[in-house]
Amino acid sequence: MHIPDSFIPLSQAIIYWIIALPFIFMSIRWAGKEMDDTKVPILAALAAGIFAIQALNIPIGMGTSGHMVGATLVAIIFASPWAGVLVLTLVLLVQGFVFADGGITTMGANILNMGVISGFVGYYTFSALMKSRLSLQISAFVGAWLGLLVSALACAVQMYLAGTFPLVPGLVAMGTYHFIIGLIGEGLITAVAITAIASSRPDLLENKSLARGVKA
Amino acid sequence: MSSNVAASGRSNMKFLYAGIVIALILAVLAPFLASPDPDGLESAAGGVVSEEKLAEMEEAGSVFSSPMPDYGIEGMGKSGEVAAIVAGTLLVLGISYGLGKIIKK
Repeated sequence: MHIPDSFIPLSQAIIYWIIALPFIFMSIRWAGKEMDDTKVPILAALAAGIFAIQALNIPIGMGTSGHMVGATLVAIIFASPWAGVLVLTLVLLVQGFVFADGGITTMGANILNMGVISGFVGYYTFSALMKSRLSLQISAFVGAWLGLLVSALACAVQMYLAGTFPLVPGLVAMGTYHFIIGLIGEGLITAVAITAIASSRPDLLENKSLARGVKA
Repeated sequence: MSSNVAASGRSNMKFLYAGIVIALILAVLAPFLASPDPDGLESAAGGVVSEEKLAEMEEAGSVFSSPMPDYGIEGMGKSGEVAAIVAGTLLVLGISYGLGKIIKK
């Protein structure tokens, strides 16, 4: 879902940067309050793992592939969507500047879609499902899936505003592909990773009620 | 209490090492396992954007010349791709660790 430079005119790309900047600023403020020496290794491990897994495109049929985004996973582990914004911002910076994966002018839009929208929708969906007493696995799966799907639909709207995609066909195409990418690439991997962490390191999940749910 | 913090610090370093190992395994395998098919956005563009406009966009290219475009090193094939993704993984690791240390409370 990495938008290249040529997909959004500069005037609009700047607007997405302006919208993204306060979120980036808030994510750094979150780290300033919440990071300590013992948590930095967790943040670094997650950032490296997410960069690597984003290089692993999974075939979804229809001549299309997709990969995990990971903002929901990071947000669940740190019990804050700001953690997802921070990690995705760092990953997107390296991807854009070093590997030409996603544009530079469009990096604001990419941070907004993959860091902010997917992470916030994913995390708060997850939290709501946990509160309604669904299992950790199902909550993580549905949250991550919905976060990815909504961010892809937001991307389709941006493509429409940019004059690049027609509105309805763009929404249908982006929605169809990311409905499936979200199931395998995002939902399944997030649920498996959270389950593994909750059983091996229940102390790690900031939200202690999650770990309790797994042990029981 | 302080021994608890030290213990959790040690097990978090274990988590970091495990994370690095998993990330590097993914980085080495990615060039061989990753699907070469276009991603969702590219596929959508191929389906809903006219050929003329796609060609225009292709020509416009990107505003910045990246050292390892498309996760590869020119003329190095798969080994270049492995090197590029491993390098990227270590770069993200270093930046996030360094930044975390700088902005921590």
